Amino acid sequence: MHELSLALEVCRIAELHAQPHGAGAVRAVAVEIGDDAGIEVGNFRFCMEALLGAPPFTGPRLEVLPGRGDDLRVTYLEVDDGRPDD
Amino acid sequence: MAVRTIDVRERVMARNDELASQVRARLAEAGVMSFNLVSSPGSGKTSLLERTLEVLGEELDIAVVTGDVQTQNDADRLARRTDRLVQAVVTGGACHLDAAQVMSALEAIDLARTRLFFIENVGNLVCPASWDLGEVAKIVVFSVTEGEDKPLKYPKMFRMARYAVLNKVDLLPHLDFDVDKAIAFAREVNPDLRFFLTSARTGEGLEEWFDFLRQQVRAPVAA
Repeated sequence: MHELSLALEVCRIAELHAQPHGAGAVRAVAVEIGDDAGIEVGNFRFCMEALLGAPPFTGPRLEVLPGRGDDLRVTYLEVDDGRPDD
Repeated sequence: MAVRTIDVRERVMARNDELASQVRARLAEAGVMSFNLVSSPGSGKTSLLERTLEVLGEELDIAVVTGDVQTQNDADRLARRTDRLVQAVVTGGACHLDAAQVMSALEAIDLARTRLFFIENVGNLVCPASWDLGEVAKIVVFSVTEGEDKPLKYPKMFRMARYAVLNKVDLLPHLDFDVDKAIAFAREVNPDLRFFLTSARTGEGLEEWFDFLRQQVRAPVAA
């Protein structure tokens, strides 16, 4: 039931860490969720997908990784840095 | 385009926990004892607080923040029992209070004239377990009209709580509820849980509850 609040906070953290490229450059958001985090993963995914599909995001993919205990953290982002490929 | 990975490793609850620490520090600095009352809807948090305010409101300088999804009915009910401040937070759909809401509610409270602060959380045994509000301890309220196995069904809440109030004991003669079994289930998930058996309606068991609160207010508040 509280998954939307948590998803909003994940998006806030992602936006902050995506600087200076901006939330629109985010291609993936990886979140670690422990078994005791009190999160229904299906519900959380649904909320995340709704948020990541709307501005300032441009539909990055969500990676849900297994975490420990009540761990809930944003692990990493993949960001398009705007430079041409090497 | 080059996609690179940015290491984040940031806890999602970090901002709430930081605000909760600020709430805790402010309360400790003002020497205010604080409890976060959590329960399912209808177990009697508001009735318990009504009786508590009637008897101890002035004696212990109690202030209350109530959280509800809609309406400020609980705050209105409590305000009729005391001249002291009862602050309502309407969450507008959210299933829990967060530390930011408690922080802004504190702005309206004269902490210098408060010794005991209750947060009456949104009725919900799941979500409020995850949000630290800066309280000294959580008190879980459940009632004999609910199942004895509630602690097993909602273990996180019973694990996070330091005290439990089993309310509506006046109804026991009419029910099949087994008090010993309920306490045993609760201690299975949290062996240190201290219990109070109360009826907010008849007053049964409330003296022990009031004495506990008096003693908590006298004891130095741990930061």
